[in-house]
Amino acid sequence: MRALVIDDSRTMRRIVAGNLQQLGFETYQAEHGQDALDLLDGGLEVDLCCIDWNMPVMDGLTFVSRVRADPRWRSVTLMMVTTESEQGQIVRALAAGAHEYLIKPFTPDALRDKLEFLGLTAPAWTVEEPA
Amino acid sequence: MALSQESFAWVADLVRRRSAIQLAGGKEYLVESRLLPLARDLTGGDVDAYVQRVRGGGHDGEHGRIVEALTTNETSWFRDSSPFTSLRTHVLPQLLSTRGSVAHLKVWSAACSTGQEPYSLAMTLTDALPPGASFEILATDLSEQVLTRARSGRYSQLEINRGLPAPLMVRHLTRVGAEWQISDGLRRTITFRAHNLLDPPPAGARFDIVFLRNVLIYFDAATKKAILDRVRRVLAPDGALVLGAAETTIGIDDSWQRVPVGTGSVYTPSRAGAAGGAPFGAPAGGPAGGPAGGPLAGGLPSPRVAPAATPAAALAGGPPGAASLAARAPLGRAVAAAGTAGSLLPRPRPAAAQPLVPGQSRPATTPRPVPAAASGAARGARPLPNASDRNPPGRSPFDRTTYDRPTPAATPVPPTRGAQR
Amino acid sequence: MSTAVDTEQVYAVAAAVFAAMIDGDEGLLTPWYGDLPLVEEPLSAWVDLHGELPGRAALVCEAATAHDLTRALLMMEADEEVDDQDLVDAFGEIANVVGGNVKSLLPVQDTLGLPEVAHGHPPAAEGHVAQELRLSWRGQLIVVTIWLVG
Repeated sequence: MRALVIDDSRTMRRIVAGNLQQLGFETYQAEHGQDALDLLDGGLEVDLCCIDWNMPVMDGLTFVSRVRADPRWRSVTLMMVTTESEQGQIVRALAAGAHEYLIKPFTPDALRDKLEFLGLTAPAWTVEEPA
Repeated sequence: MALSQESFAWVADLVRRRSAIQLAGGKEYLVESRLLPLARDLTGGDVDAYVQRVRGGGHDGEHGRIVEALTTNETSWFRDSSPFTSLRTHVLPQLLSTRGSVAHLKVWSAACSTGQEPYSLAMTLTDALPPGASFEILATDLSEQVLTRARSGRYSQLEINRGLPAPLMVRHLTRVGAEWQISDGLRRTITFRAHNLLDPPPAGARFDIVFLRNVLIYFDAATKKAILDRVRRVLAPDGALVLGAAETTIGIDDSWQRVPVGTGSVYTPSRAGAAGGAPFGAPAGGPAGGPAGGPLAGGLPSPRVAPAATPAAALAGGPPGAASLAARAPLGRAVAAAGTAGSLLPRPRPAAAQPLVPGQSRPATTPRPVPAAASGAARGARPLPNASDRNPPGRSPFDRTTYDRPTPAATPVPPTRGAQR
Repeated sequence: MSTAVDTEQVYAVAAAVFAAMIDGDEGLLTPWYGDLPLVEEPLSAWVDLHGELPGRAALVCEAATAHDLTRALLMMEADEEVDDQDLVDAFGEIANVVGGNVKSLLPVQDTLGLPEVAHGHPPAAEGHVAQELRLSWRGQLIVVTIWLVG
């Protein structure tokens, strides 16, 4: 699995990417929406984008709309990862085409829960049938 | 006075014996900050003196308070997700198929803790039941304290982040200040009641579905068998029991039949399965959680069932404008993929509570410590600690005073944040 | 005084930020009890809220505390040197997450500015101090201040 982490904070990119790597993802990073679009346009193929909302140049909501409008990226799962946590903002992001929404601050468990529900994490191990 | 190694070791041993949670060395500060509210009552805030006093005897009631301050059950929404998928794709279709129709469904969520499981069940049933069918959930727990929280339906932001799909969240919860509130409609479907699993089961009901997850692990084999026996007596013959991912009836109580469903299992009373095959046999249509609309065994009467159970479609009927979300948000794909990829495997929590800070990893056990004071404050369940005796009388530590500061002449730290990006 | 945000809510926000991002455990950010020490080398981080109910959310603490917070966020060793770039980004991000969550407590939909970090105490914003919380993080003082207009 490959993920693109889009956030203007290096700190946050490092935290999100670090958690994704623990879950087995290969990660890429972009500093804002336009940066991320350029990477995708250049042929980077990813399964998941984790997207901050407030960023310079192009914000996360605009990025989501742009990706959703392009059939090339139909299979990419989009998850907002942002401090924006008003109910209306979450509804807006889902309406724009985001699949999931993770509110900062979040714990590593919370990120894993969301990805598990989206079917993007491999199970760590299975239960053995008792003999 | 700082916590001595001896006191820390005693607390760690107490917690390990009572909860199986290991408090590794290096957690002294954590123990100290969590026991501080307890120490304030007994020894004026000296945690080490508090521990010594409790060790000295005569304060056995404090043992429970100490363990509670350092532990709580980890609860997330749709925990392990597979049981909820199984409910939608197998348990309900089978009940509908064997009974012809289901007008009213009774569900028991046993050991419901702070309520995430019964509310997740209510969300699932709201979407998965055919039109006209209703349901009620009895949610029980030993602890009145967690029941009060569960009943209130009020959750902190961090709790909400744990496994609750965003479309269901904006549909069933409303933001209230720093917290989120479950809708009255959903709350009305659940009755919360104190119940000890070692006592006779709740009277007067025959349940169609029982969720009893991640609680048998705490009991010995004989007690497990006794609990399973009591559950079987209140379960309909064609009903289903759902256990935690690491739990099974096999080798404990042979009056149950394990039925593999997708990547997990449900259990059904064996005698019911004797005639006409297992009531919860594998469906004709493929693995659990397969593509929505696939040929479910005994097919549900309404096309609403499978698709509506996906988070996107679940938005229909939500807040204003939500109906359009259902059409536009491409969630169905992701959820269907989840099912077909078989990656919703039920499993005990992996030892994956990756800490953000090295050296702070938690044990791989499921319960996870939460401090009473902090979690209480985060939920608004109790007021912030009042002024300690070190503060002037009647003054909360948060009373605003002029903050003793030099002239505010902020000078930027190079490089400025904007410039570096 | 405005009642737009109350003390417990701001505390809940700060406690959640520290529990999830910095400590990996709850309970390490508590109210400050007792006398306030003088902050000798203050470092502050803040974000501005723009819109109908403009304001500012700021943190100030000893520079050494900000270095510790940066190490915790970036998973650095206890004795590892923190450079200015990491300090500005990490400390600023804490203010950003606190500010973003405080914003969602407001009855109106404002927008959030980008975080800033500076030596000294945070510059006073327009309006009044709606909240000032004095907190203890592992025994170190951190003051969270919220200014609001209106």
